[in-house]
Amino acid sequence: MRIRHATLLLASTLFIACGDEAAEQVTQDKGPELVIGGEDASAQASVLYQMPTPNELFSIVRALNGKGQKSAMSATPKADRFATLSGRALNFGVYATDMVYASNFKLTSEVVRYYLACKDLGEQLGLANAFNGDVQRRLEKNLTHGDSLDVLTNDAYYAAYQKLQQEQMGPTLALVLAGGWVESMHLVMAQQGAYDETSPLMARIAEQKVSLEQLIDMMEATKDDANMAPTHKQLMAIRDIYDQLNVVRTPNTGKSSSGRMVLGDDVSVSITAAKYEELKTAVAALRDTITKAEDKPSNA
Amino acid sequence: MRSQLIKAAAVLPILIAASAHAQDDCAEFHRFNCERSTDTRFSMNGQSKSASVQIGVPTELNIIVYKGQDYRIAFCYDEKVIGDHVNARLIEKVREPKDISEQVIKKEELLDANGNPSGQFKESTVTEVKRVFEDVEKVLWTNEEHEMADMIEFTATATKRLMVEVTAPGAANPKPKRSDKKFDIGCVGILIEHMPTPAMGFDDK
Repeated sequence: MRIRHATLLLASTLFIACGDEAAEQVTQDKGPELVIGGEDASAQASVLYQMPTPNELFSIVRALNGKGQKSAMSATPKADRFATLSGRALNFGVYATDMVYASNFKLTSEVVRYYLACKDLGEQLGLANAFNGDVQRRLEKNLTHGDSLDVLTNDAYYAAYQKLQQEQMGPTLALVLAGGWVESMHLVMAQQGAYDETSPLMARIAEQKVSLEQLIDMMEATKDDANMAPTHKQLMAIRDIYDQLNVVRTPNTGKSSSGRMVLGDDVSVSITAAKYEELKTAVAALRDTITKAEDKPSNA
Repeated sequence: MRSQLIKAAAVLPILIAASAHAQDDCAEFHRFNCERSTDTRFSMNGQSKSASVQIGVPTELNIIVYKGQDYRIAFCYDEKVIGDHVNARLIEKVREPKDISEQVIKKEELLDANGNPSGQFKESTVTEVKRVFEDVEKVLWTNEEHEMADMIEFTATATKRLMVEVTAPGAANPKPKRSDKKFDIGCVGILIEHMPTPAMGFDDK
């Protein structure tokens, strides 16, 4: 009898994992939930979140201001000095973003260093498959071909991202993305330098308001997780700064220069010198917290 | 008893394998079933996603589109379960400020005739305006107005949070019998492609 119950319980657990029952329950209440990928997860949920890979932003930045800032990237030797899950996940996001940045800006000597740093941290996060020997061989072989490097590093980043989704490592993925967001902001701000109202990069920095909003929405379901809470709190403080920026929406009629339809209003987010400094300081403080080496392992 | 235990143990890996197989089938659905653009300037966007969708239940994929990029979003689905089309909408999520009035009880110390604190307190209700932010959803496109199109191409003139909402109507003649629930979930792929907005002219395409 007990065995029957156990089998029944097991079978119903599997069916719930397949999504039938849970889909109905979850979708009745469409609150903000964290469901990051995984077929199992997606079947159960009505709301899915994706974030753009960093190369999308960096290719835009490269077109606006072509030279990469090698000195702005984080120091790779610290890769083996993160002992906690949050430290590893956040810094995996940081190094993966640096890797994509290096390949986008053709800082070829840096690409392999950051790749190896990602590989080290990735293995500790259970992402060994995303950084297999084949990818590394292809990377080394293509070091002189900037365009191929773009593709390879993006593939490696995407493979890690997918692995985190498929394994339903929600909090880890959210931390990886948070580390990536902070590093992207830091690199774009380093690219910009001092405040310049006329710089197109300023507009790009201001527009990151929406990617931060998306990231915070994504983190909502796991924000109370002990690994997540401190980062979530600091990101909320950055969002508070963004909330003070002036957003102007203008109706857009007609087609774009490519002849395709334009969806919705034009939106411009303007940032003052004071708010830029405030934002820069807050991002730098969070980045310092994230990238500070954890010399004394606690909950490895 | 023991044989039952052995049977249960034998069935377990099969159930797990079947479950995993079903999941694998759907995870890469957009890669193999959604039609890519014939315009080779479009690159596959990492926010593309496949999901198991239950008939009649909207599934929302939240993405970011960047200013200065053209996007193509294509939908593909298992027609046997999902039907011959999906209902799709693109909705912008906008974080907007909203001022709300709150009644707050304040405690105030009364002053004596000489203007000094009397030690006596008075409670009064005041109205305070507080600024909060909330997400507002704006429908930008629906395929109901475009002959249930399975694809949309557009230019993003601003960086936005977009919600791609897909609802499956169900097949006209669904696979019958057995548990209804078992046959009301099918794969839907959302393939996203992007490229920098090109200028019109003779050199394009």
